[in-house]
Amino acid sequence: MTSTLKQPGSTHARLWGARDIWCAVAGAVSLALAVGAATTVAVPVNSDLGLVGVLPYPFWAGVLLLNVTFVVALRGDATGPARRPVMLWLIVVLVLILFGTAAFVTDAPRGEVAFRHLGIADALSNSGGIDPNIDAYFNWPGFFALLATVLRATGVDPVSVALWAPVLNMGLWLTALSVLTRYLTKDPRRRWLVLWIFCLGNWQDQDYLSPQAFGFFLYLVVVVLLMGPLAAKAPAFRGFKRADLKAWWLARTPAEPLPGRRISALVVTLLLVAVICASHQLTPFLVLIAMTALTLSGRVWPSRLPLITGILLVLWLVYPASTYLSGHPPLADAGLQTAIAANVVDRTTGTAGHVLVVQVRIALTLILWALAAVGSIRDWRRRRLDIRVVLLAVTPLLLFPVQAYGGEMLIRVSLFALPFIAMQASSVLLPTKGSVRPSTRGALVLVPTCFLLAALTVTGRFGNAQYDVFADDEIAAVAAVDRLAPPGSAIISAAHPTPWRSQDYLAHRYRTIEDLCPSDLSAATCGPLIYRYAKHNSAGGYLLLMSSAESSLVVQGQTSQRNFEELENWLKIQDGVNLAFSNGDARVYRVAP
Amino acid sequence: MNVRGVSRPTMALGFGALVLSLATLLGLPTPLQTVAALIVLVLLPGQALTRLMRVTDLGLGALLVLALGLAALTAVSTAMFYLAVWSWQACVITMGAITILACIARARQEATS
Repeated sequence: MTSTLKQPGSTHARLWGARDIWCAVAGAVSLALAVGAATTVAVPVNSDLGLVGVLPYPFWAGVLLLNVTFVVALRGDATGPARRPVMLWLIVVLVLILFGTAAFVTDAPRGEVAFRHLGIADALSNSGGIDPNIDAYFNWPGFFALLATVLRATGVDPVSVALWAPVLNMGLWLTALSVLTRYLTKDPRRRWLVLWIFCLGNWQDQDYLSPQAFGFFLYLVVVVLLMGPLAAKAPAFRGFKRADLKAWWLARTPAEPLPGRRISALVVTLLLVAVICASHQLTPFLVLIAMTALTLSGRVWPSRLPLITGILLVLWLVYPASTYLSGHPPLADAGLQTAIAANVVDRTTGTAGHVLVVQVRIALTLILWALAAVGSIRDWRRRRLDIRVVLLAVTPLLLFPVQAYGGEMLIRVSLFALPFIAMQASSVLLPTKGSVRPSTRGALVLVPTCFLLAALTVTGRFGNAQYDVFADDEIAAVAAVDRLAPPGSAIISAAHPTPWRSQDYLAHRYRTIEDLCPSDLSAATCGPLIYRYAKHNSAGGYLLLMSSAESSLVVQGQTSQRNFEELENWLKIQDGVNLAFSNGDARVYRVAP
Repeated sequence: MNVRGVSRPTMALGFGALVLSLATLLGLPTPLQTVAALIVLVLLPGQALTRLMRVTDLGLGALLVLALGLAALTAVSTAMFYLAVWSWQACVITMGAITILACIARARQEATS
């Protein structure tokens, strides 16, 4: 199989030095500091800045120490960075700190969607079949089929899987990215730095138990295959004249000399593409775009691969996903203005702290993109710019104006570009000549840069902790509703996220107050709407009011605490409304039909 | 096919799939069941299919074990749901069969080379 680029100085032969041992110990100390600090955080989180507002200073001391240690290990000595196990250990510690922090704060997974995904897998395994009329998830059921099988066969606790999914997914992504970087650079320091920056820039929070996280892993594997066994060596570009283009195209040669290996890599790629098409709506389009860009640049040998991928994608949309698509035209909300409104403008509202968090996310993305741009210019000047990396960093942007995607398109686009943005950004942060030890001055720049990125990522990732980290009382209230509500009843929560639907996904009608009253949440307007909706449901309704969901509405500027109290007070005095369950962080009202 | 030409890892992989599939189907205490099921559903099929590709790069090989194992299990589970024949036991049997068939194909490669 096509070999990766060999690094100049192997770190295998060297013995463990004092620096290696100190770096490993410092990594352990960083982890202990950060985990110890995270476990002291009280839930519900009482800050509109999220976890960053309540994490005690030892957490930040741990993050700083870890980044200092990484830079020391990365510098290493004249032969290269610290030993591979040390570098790997530091990456593991970083992943645990950045992506496992919430799991050290609480035993419940963050956010609503992971709970919902568990519910879909549960519904699939209970029914044993797929009804595409239920909702969009049942038109792209691949990931849920996988999840249902794994959960039933292993007997593992589903909530624990969801809780640790960010760490597991980051592990998968980093495994793929580490192989990918071996096709892109010979410099071991750059490879480790790319992995580090990828973690530091990963504020998008798409690593929870989800089809997109699984799809992103498979996307990275497809890119690895395109860069490796399916790659082509293209001659120097001569120009856009037809004859020049034809000569250039015909002069390409396969990077992998053995046809059998190319064919097997092609079969694997097609299997991965088929699984991606079956698992997620958006990822296949990003695969197709990346594949097409690389093929047109002359860097992929099987030139018909984008065509075959396109056919697979269309076949999935026309047959298994046709039920959903017939009612939801994919280009219904296309357009740059719509995309900007949904992805940027609608998200920059709310309390001062929340707006700051959103601004931090935007700033982090812009800082990384700026570093990548400078890195690209620097590489171009030194004639070492890899056009494949630039194409993979830029082409996801093509999807931005095509679909608003519930206001999440910019998040997805920035995630798919991130590995390659990290690759280009690393060019700025390391010496211009490859495989050279960074100077002390360079290291002094690298430490604050990495620490700043880490602080911004913790702020961005956990910025919604006031409403997406759930207290035990809230989880108990959801369990009580599941127990009390008969099949067919309506369950109404104040807002998303609510940790519901992890079981009985199909048994109830789930709504939120913000869904029922999209424009006005005042007691006078919204109260009657909620009451009528619950009352007219033949099996009655259950109103679930939790501190976190209330915070969600307040922090995002949809209502005030006073207005929300007025709404609850109006509802609880209506005919047939009784308090069915309550604890410190939640109340459940039953609305008789 | 010359059986002596078949490598020990191929034989071990095939027998391992057979034994672990049976153990998973019969049921093991919780932590062992989790480990056995993950091995038989993801790692063994991934390893058996990757070996068919004759990957020489260790990193790429390890990545393909994970990716192929997960992708194959997704494809099998999804197909079973669409055909309304899904059960986790059926998935274990199918993934065990895929592993053994891939080992047989690999054994043929080894016997002829």
